[in-house]
Amino acid sequence: MTGLYTRVVQSYRQGSAGATGSPRVFITGVGVVSSIGIGKQAFYESLRAGRTGLSKLGAFAAGDLGRDIAGEVKDFRAEDHMTHAEARNAGRCAHMAVAAARLATKDAAISDEALGGTRVAVVMGTTMGEGALLGDLEGAWIKSGEGAINRADIPRYGSTLLPIHVARALGVSGLVSTLPAACAAGNYAIGFGADLIRMGRADVVVCGAAELLQELQFAGFVRLAAMAKERCRPFDKNREGLILGEGAAVLVLESEAHAVRRNAAAQAEVLGMGLTCDGYHITRPHPDAAGSIEAMRQAIARSGITPDAVDFVNAHGTGTKANDVAETKVMHDVFRGRRVPISSMKSMLGHCMGAASALEAAGCVFTLETGVYPPTIGFETPDPECDVDVVANVAREGKADIILNNSLAFGGYNAVTCFSRPYKVPELGLPARVLS
Amino acid sequence: MRGARGSMAVTGLSVLSAAGMGKDLFFAALALGAPTRPSPPKDLQAFDSAAYDAPNVVEVLGFDPTVLLGDKGLRTLDRITKLLIVAARMCLHDVGFKANGQWQRSEPTKVGFVCSNAYGSLEAITELDRVALLEDARYINPAKFPNTVSNSAAGYVSIWEDLRALNVSVSNGNPGALDAIGIAEVHLASGRADALITGGGEAMCEALFLAFKKLGALRSPGFCLGEGAAMVCLEPELSAESRGATILARVTGYGTHFSAPKDDALLHPSEEAMGAAIEQALESADVAAKDVDLVVSGLSGLAPFDAAELGAIHGSIGRTANVFAPKKLVGESLGASGALAVAAAVYARNGGTLGRMEAGHAPSRPRHIVVTSLGYYGNASAVVIS
Repeated sequence: MTGLYTRVVQSYRQGSAGATGSPRVFITGVGVVSSIGIGKQAFYESLRAGRTGLSKLGAFAAGDLGRDIAGEVKDFRAEDHMTHAEARNAGRCAHMAVAAARLATKDAAISDEALGGTRVAVVMGTTMGEGALLGDLEGAWIKSGEGAINRADIPRYGSTLLPIHVARALGVSGLVSTLPAACAAGNYAIGFGADLIRMGRADVVVCGAAELLQELQFAGFVRLAAMAKERCRPFDKNREGLILGEGAAVLVLESEAHAVRRNAAAQAEVLGMGLTCDGYHITRPHPDAAGSIEAMRQAIARSGITPDAVDFVNAHGTGTKANDVAETKVMHDVFRGRRVPISSMKSMLGHCMGAASALEAAGCVFTLETGVYPPTIGFETPDPECDVDVVANVAREGKADIILNNSLAFGGYNAVTCFSRPYKVPELGLPARVLS
Repeated sequence: MRGARGSMAVTGLSVLSAAGMGKDLFFAALALGAPTRPSPPKDLQAFDSAAYDAPNVVEVLGFDPTVLLGDKGLRTLDRITKLLIVAARMCLHDVGFKANGQWQRSEPTKVGFVCSNAYGSLEAITELDRVALLEDARYINPAKFPNTVSNSAAGYVSIWEDLRALNVSVSNGNPGALDAIGIAEVHLASGRADALITGGGEAMCEALFLAFKKLGALRSPGFCLGEGAAMVCLEPELSAESRGATILARVTGYGTHFSAPKDDALLHPSEEAMGAAIEQALESADVAAKDVDLVVSGLSGLAPFDAAELGAIHGSIGRTANVFAPKKLVGESLGASGALAVAAAVYARNGGTLGRMEAGHAPSRPRHIVVTSLGYYGNASAVVIS
């Protein structure tokens, strides 16, 4: 701890990029809508217990696709989290986003007044937004012609709307932005949100991502031969691919000054982010994993730390052959033989696409708060090609001072965020209440 | 907006518009000041419009990606992807980073891409939905499935152009391309890239056309749904100066604001949001309203939105503001529109003639130009070009 503490202080004094001498960024609220629990506590309990959220698909009929398992959020009811008018204006993806945002702001105990100014931003990620709503519109048109299109539903479609609905629900009037960065969208939103605070553009950023299961996406992954039949088993020799999921996770980020002013309790600190693009293939990671390696190195360097300070990696871990091998290369290259524990929450949640890395960021906060690494469930047979220290089947207690959240995405996107416990740094004059 | 490394310099530019492929054709249309004529239905490339009366849409005139990209590897790409790749390559050539598609200056890991797009995956989703609904989901083309993902087109740009710094896709509706500039500034100031090809694109497709038709927008006098793509190369000003780059203009300010309606309406033309965005942009540029010589607006012919935007311009800059409206000439291109407006501002800043003003007169070599864009949902953004 002393070594880490010294490094953090030094990095601030030296003004290293990312941890920079600019405002520190704290996570003061976490909101989750997931197949393993709605709300932070239920989610945390499931992560600790290694519960699966995978079940037989109920949202739509998978027909003859030969796959019918998904991480569906079956007990989510929009009306539990919003008014009838709010629900009527939005689709299910926005319902989950708004619910997660309200849970996060409640967890942060932040007042409506504090959310109301122009210094508050909303940044949301997704892959396909309200794809189900669009599917309904297109279904009516394609089957029955232009006259069958429900005019009132047209303005409800569009990824643009995700942060709009969140901003309306919370009374935010600053920057609202959607970053559709596919499976890295959560990290994009959180990293950009932290950048906004560091650069003095915002005091509070409500950020995260949402995704819902929808038919076209489901069929597409089947046709890409990327989907497993029953289980998602990342890093296992006999893994068959991913299982799709859905959900939303939202974090409340605050500048140090804002958190201090309202006497907020920090749950974690956002350090650096690494962002690169493979420029190689639209769906496959680069076989050398060069872009992913560079993204993780950037995240570490921009956090003002060295790789030996990293205690745990929350994996992208999709359970596809190519992803898990590429991610193993990243671990070997970045950590140079040190076996840093790694685990994939997708074994429990399925691959929640745009929401995945936001849910995994919430999992990172869980690890930093509890010192528990969530397990990769269903792990049976080690794979020589995935020679990493997988947290297999049972949650593991371990050192959790600094952890990484790794994500890769369609388009060759690589995004890695780095989080730490909210260290007390008396030289910076930060009060213990915030940092405890 | 002026950080330690100064403003952002615009060092390259590309435009695909209803006037044709290339910035010069776009500039010529701005100088002429006459609306580009809606294509007769039979002339549309993007979809078979024969069934529709007077579709009131325009496309990128004579769009032919093979001119720049050759004819290999295009088969599975959708229209938005081709528009973005061509626009990005033109911009990389214009800034001198590439010639004949090959790197001449800078390097792949130093250059990234930030791109706005509102409804780019619609064409691909429709194509695959047709197969799933009329045949069977088992028969959808897996090679085209990635096109249904919102950031796919931007990702393909990095693949085709070998851009390996960050790639960011933005989906904020009409103001998206101005927001892309705001996002690029954050990433450049953070040192994540030396240069960012930044802008937006939108592609015409039948679903997009139908959405606007059903909503009645295509009956609005003066409104024409369009498509296009425009990119600027952004670099920190000091970096651009030190490498001896030609600086076409400087982006000195950015502002954005969201305002919720008093009722539960979803569509919300917000004069308040537009005004706050303009004032924030001017403040960040340290420019007084009286020093703004030109406003390149997002006025499109949709009356409630035009009234709100113009009201905000009058309120924040003054009733005598010189207002230009490129959408009245080349159509409403949604996620691309802010980028086309920035291109128009750069053109005007360098002495380009504006043939038809919405209000006031066309200044010669305006000192400061405010580019405005009002979203459909209460969001608005503004950029200052100096």
